Amino acid sequence: MAAGALRGVLWPRAAAGLRAARAALAAPAGARAASEMSQDMMPGPYPRTPEERAAAAKKYNMRVEDYQPYPDDGLGYGDYPMLPNKSQYERDPWYQWDQPDMRHNWGEPMHWDFDMYIRNRVDTSPTVVPWHTMSKHFLLFLSIMLIMFGLGEIYPSYRPVGPKQYPFNDLYLEKGGDPNKKPPTVIHYEI
Amino acid sequence: MGAHLGRRYLWDAEAEPDPLNMPSFPAELGLPGRQPRAMVASAAQLAQARVPLEQRDFCGHHLLRLLRCQRDTFPVPWQCHPLRHRWDSCQHEDYVMRMKEFERERRLRLRQQRLRQRHGDGDGDSE
Repeated sequence: MAAGALRGVLWPRAAAGLRAARAALAAPAGARAASEMSQDMMPGPYPRTPEERAAAAKKYNMRVEDYQPYPDDGLGYGDYPMLPNKSQYERDPWYQWDQPDMRHNWGEPMHWDFDMYIRNRVDTSPTVVPWHTMSKHFLLFLSIMLIMFGLGEIYPSYRPVGPKQYPFNDLYLEKGGDPNKKPPTVIHYEI
Repeated sequence: MGAHLGRRYLWDAEAEPDPLNMPSFPAELGLPGRQPRAMVASAAQLAQARVPLEQRDFCGHHLLRLLRCQRDTFPVPWQCHPLRHRWDSCQHEDYVMRMKEFERERRLRLRQQRLRQRHGDGDGDSE
């Protein structure tokens, strides 16, 4: 019993010791892999002075004239540049991009929503026909169809024949009439 | 085909029959000794054959014979053509009767209009 209790205490302690030794062998705490970016390459706070702006533009591989961060109104993204909200579909399909499927060159600043603007997803390409022309055509078509259908309801079209004549008092029982009540008598004549 | 529609909607709706209110004149008017239409198949027979309600009309007996023949000679399709023709011509006669009913209604309406005009003129002259 005592041996069993000791065994319950000893083996988790041994496992923890083994884990610590393995971790110490791999890398010290707080270290990062060489493939990761250094701290000065990560996004930082909103740039206040022109020097900070120049440094941020250099960090993002942009010209200082082009660099424009998101406005600092509490909902901004620090010093990340604000690029035009255009999807990758709008980029030239015939230019030799470094990454043709992404239509993106190496080192080019990526939009904050780049993963949304890839060609499999959101497409902001302009329409072939101007928007107001499209909407005018559609509304014209819809209104004409609705008016015609409405006219067809008010003034229905029919053949110049009388209604079809059915036997058994216009199929009174077959249409669910009460068998205990006397049905209204309907007699059809030959003509 | 649209002449009656033009007359009804654009011209004079009183003279054109309304297919939803037909017949609006007594059946014996102008046609003395009219015979009522005879129904050969019974309601029980039509119900037993589970004929759709739209087809339980005055040609039901031809339809029953046709269905019986088709059931007996399946899958040979051409052996029931004479019965099919008899049912089709019965339906045709029925449609022609509907056209005649429409025309009768129209002529009675025109006659009613003429009588009204005549009485109207008569009252005007007498006054």
